[in-house]
Amino acid sequence: MYRLALNMLFGDRAKLAMLLCGLAFSALLMAQQSSVFFGIMSWTYTPMVNIRAQVWVSDPMVEQVNDAKPLRDTDLGRVRSVDGVAWAAPLHTSFVQARMQDGNFKLITLVGIDADTFAGAPAVLTQGRIEDLRLPDTVIVDEWGAALMGRMTVGPDGKPRSVPLKVGDTFEINDIQARIVGICKVKRAFTGGPFVYTTYDRAKGYTLGARRTLSFMLVEPQKGVTPGELCDRIERDTGLKAWTSDTVIWSWGERSLARNTFWWFWTNTGIPFSFGTAVLLGLFVGIAISGQTFYSFVLENLKYFAAIKAMGAGMGVIARMLFVQAFTAGLIGFGLGAGMAQGIGRVMIEKGMPPFVMYPQILWATFVLVLGISFVSAIIGIIKVSRVDAASVFRG
Amino acid sequence: MSHLAHTVAVRASGVDMFFGTPENQVVALKQADFEARRGELIMLVGPSGCGKTTLLSVIAGTLTPQAGTVEVFGQRLDGLGQEELTAFRRKHLGFVFQSFNLIPTLTVIENVMVPLLIQGRPYDEAHARSLAIIEKVGLKGREEGRPNSLSGGQQQRVAIARALVHEPPLLICDEPTSALDKDTGGHIMQLVRDLSRSPERCVVVVTHDHRIFRFADRIAEMEDGRISRVVDDPKLLDTTHL
Repeated sequence: MYRLALNMLFGDRAKLAMLLCGLAFSALLMAQQSSVFFGIMSWTYTPMVNIRAQVWVSDPMVEQVNDAKPLRDTDLGRVRSVDGVAWAAPLHTSFVQARMQDGNFKLITLVGIDADTFAGAPAVLTQGRIEDLRLPDTVIVDEWGAALMGRMTVGPDGKPRSVPLKVGDTFEINDIQARIVGICKVKRAFTGGPFVYTTYDRAKGYTLGARRTLSFMLVEPQKGVTPGELCDRIERDTGLKAWTSDTVIWSWGERSLARNTFWWFWTNTGIPFSFGTAVLLGLFVGIAISGQTFYSFVLENLKYFAAIKAMGAGMGVIARMLFVQAFTAGLIGFGLGAGMAQGIGRVMIEKGMPPFVMYPQILWATFVLVLGISFVSAIIGIIKVSRVDAASVFRG
Repeated sequence: MSHLAHTVAVRASGVDMFFGTPENQVVALKQADFEARRGELIMLVGPSGCGKTTLLSVIAGTLTPQAGTVEVFGQRLDGLGQEELTAFRRKHLGFVFQSFNLIPTLTVIENVMVPLLIQGRPYDEAHARSLAIIEKVGLKGREEGRPNSLSGGQQQRVAIARALVHEPPLLICDEPTSALDKDTGGHIMQLVRDLSRSPERCVVVVTHDHRIFRFADRIAEMEDGRISRVVDDPKLLDTTHL
């Protein structure tokens, strides 16, 4: 009977198309909005991804990576003296205004790294060398920032266009010259400003007036010491807060600064509510369209289901037929919706906006929700058919 | 067991059936008695609202009477639960409906296969048996078409094939010719008679159509919810009120 159930479903192409549209749209909305949500949330802990170190140390009051509370420079020595520390390097992060050559101002994320070890330096440089940061007044700008901060010029067609910054170009931070010696590739951040790397000491100069400039300390454990163990020791010996740097959302531990940043944004911003609403909307739209269409499909076939009942099919068989129809439509609808979400995601990833991270778990969750919609639709149909009297087939 | 007991296919005794609330009650059957024999084609006739369809539903086990007993091929239906009634219909009954009730999104052969698949027969076996009976009803070559590509007469042939494919001992036909013209109706009844004729099978036909009375072995006339008389010869019926 299941084969016939499928033939009944596929035989009514108009209804099937409507059903699939509802399910696919629902799957698309849920998968796409969830992926953008996780993409945006992944931007909140971007510094953890761009500045690699196994352990981060901060002021005890720090709650998340974008909210640095400056430490005393002497704290670096205290951390270095903790048993199990291989090395510890200073890190400065702050948001400052950069003045472009054309007079425009741009907000940037200034990152000051240790000039001796280059701990926390960007992993990929597309232009220049990291060692050139040791030259006076030098900075490394990220690729996206180089485009954003580009010079306005007139193109061959006479129209204004922006030319990305390149090695050798200059701009100013707090009236101090910053000369570009490298272009790097890093992940974009939630706060929006481009990453501008310089040395820790020069960053102090760029942030004139700041009494304390040590935002974090990047620490490497000695061989045989786990990051978790080292965090315990640092906290016990210095009273500072130590964090691990794992950024994989599904496996990060409680000490992860990325995890704490994620949850800080979750509880202190309207992002989850906004995207959660969109996902719920997808779910409700799916239930409404698919449930209604499937119900209408059942209504149209009601007299045939009654005939099948009269011929001796129990409600169990009919219920299974309806489940087969609903779940098959659900599977196809999910495939179409998830495929479209992937396609949109590819375009988004290429353009870099908005951020898009489609974890397998998102697909699984969408799959389960779409099957849930199919289940609800089937149940609505089953209730209707169960109320049909088999004797109604004799009433013309 | 008497000779009569062997020959009786359907027996309904003292059947009461009413619908609605006690204050607003519609009596459909009132102490109705009915008997059909094995090997015969019996027609139930009477004016609209006399209870023909209700009696047919009671015999088919799709309605349970408030009083009386119903016995079909030795099986008492009045004491059976819904699941047992469903199983009984699956095994013992074939249906031909007034409006054919062919599923439009299935092909002809898929429609015919339905009773066999409900019985849990393998798809291939159901397909082969359905193909054979489609040939018998004269629709060979049309098995992969959709019902709506067929004429009314052809659709009723498909319905007959579907009703007989699982070889049920009782064939129930509800106004099988009402949607057909005179000639087509005659052909359909001839087909029902030819294909269903068997010493062990009983065919009960509810009809208004006096043009097909000649195909009946006996005719039971109903009036006000009960059988008023049973005749062997259609000419004995007054058909002016039918």
